[in-house]
Amino acid sequence: MTAFDESRLHELETLTRDYARYSRSAGGLASVLGGLCCIASYLAGGLLPSSPALRIALVALPLAWLLAKQVLARRYYQRFGHVEEQATATVRRTHAFCVGVVLLVAVLVTVGTRAWPFGAGKLGYLALLWLLVPASWFWLRSPLEFFVGTFLFCQAAVSWAGFAYPVVGTTAAAANPPMALLALLFPLAALLFIGTGMADHRRFLALRERLAHLRDAGDGA
Amino acid sequence: MSGTSRIGEVMALDRLVHEPARLLILAVLANAREVEFGFLEQVSGLSKGNLSSHMSKLEAGGLVEVKKSFRGKRPLTELRITAAGRKALADYRQRLAAVMQELPEAPTPRK
Repeated sequence: MTAFDESRLHELETLTRDYARYSRSAGGLASVLGGLCCIASYLAGGLLPSSPALRIALVALPLAWLLAKQVLARRYYQRFGHVEEQATATVRRTHAFCVGVVLLVAVLVTVGTRAWPFGAGKLGYLALLWLLVPASWFWLRSPLEFFVGTFLFCQAAVSWAGFAYPVVGTTAAAANPPMALLALLFPLAALLFIGTGMADHRRFLALRERLAHLRDAGDGA
Repeated sequence: MSGTSRIGEVMALDRLVHEPARLLILAVLANAREVEFGFLEQVSGLSKGNLSSHMSKLEAGGLVEVKKSFRGKRPLTELRITAAGRKALADYRQRLAAVMQELPEAPTPRK
């Protein structure tokens, strides 16, 4: 093998790793969409008057986003064939820890809401909360994705029960400033998510060019 | 290193890994958890038949695992490098690096 072959091999290895990221840690346009959904959910939940239509929209938002995310990953970002990213042990442990926290919260909330009257509000709230556990295990795998996805599910659950996270500057926020500040973290994370998504998408466009030229250039083995 | 031992080092290279197409397949697989056949076809530039033949040899040697299934009506082939495959690739690279290091400098052409 010549030095040229070794560098070409190295290039293919880098290309494989970069491409594989779009199966797990890089969302691209799905991250942009997730960030926009998060901001929309935060503002709509806190500013619009509660109505059945709004509740349905807020519940549909995380589900639609997850669906769009899967379609984008399979049909757009991994159009040259599925390549599953190799997660490091630290990434796997962090992800398992986050899902564990969600599971614990779901159990605690379920126990804590025993006193609530039985009805559609409580059932929907708990169903959405428990749906977050498998959703975070299968689809919310990067930290920002997890953060934004968790908010979307929580906002959906809370709005189904007739509440909403307070938006800073409103009377609801003045009544509960710590919660308003905590909730503010999510749209801020969403902005970061949008930024990383755009950067990932730009990287993908360059990667796509390279992949498309590989076969045409006939520089295969 | 003497010429004889250098030849010995070269002969000790794993022939299954040394073939350029198979080396490429292993290098790609080593950088992902699972790879679909179509991606390998894309990056290697090999024909389906050629790629299948190398894949079978690597599978027979226990260096890769091949999973065949269907996605809808479309056949789906996914490949994964085994622990033995990772070790073989690492050993091969180590040996090759040692051989390359021992090679004498190429003589400078006279004007």
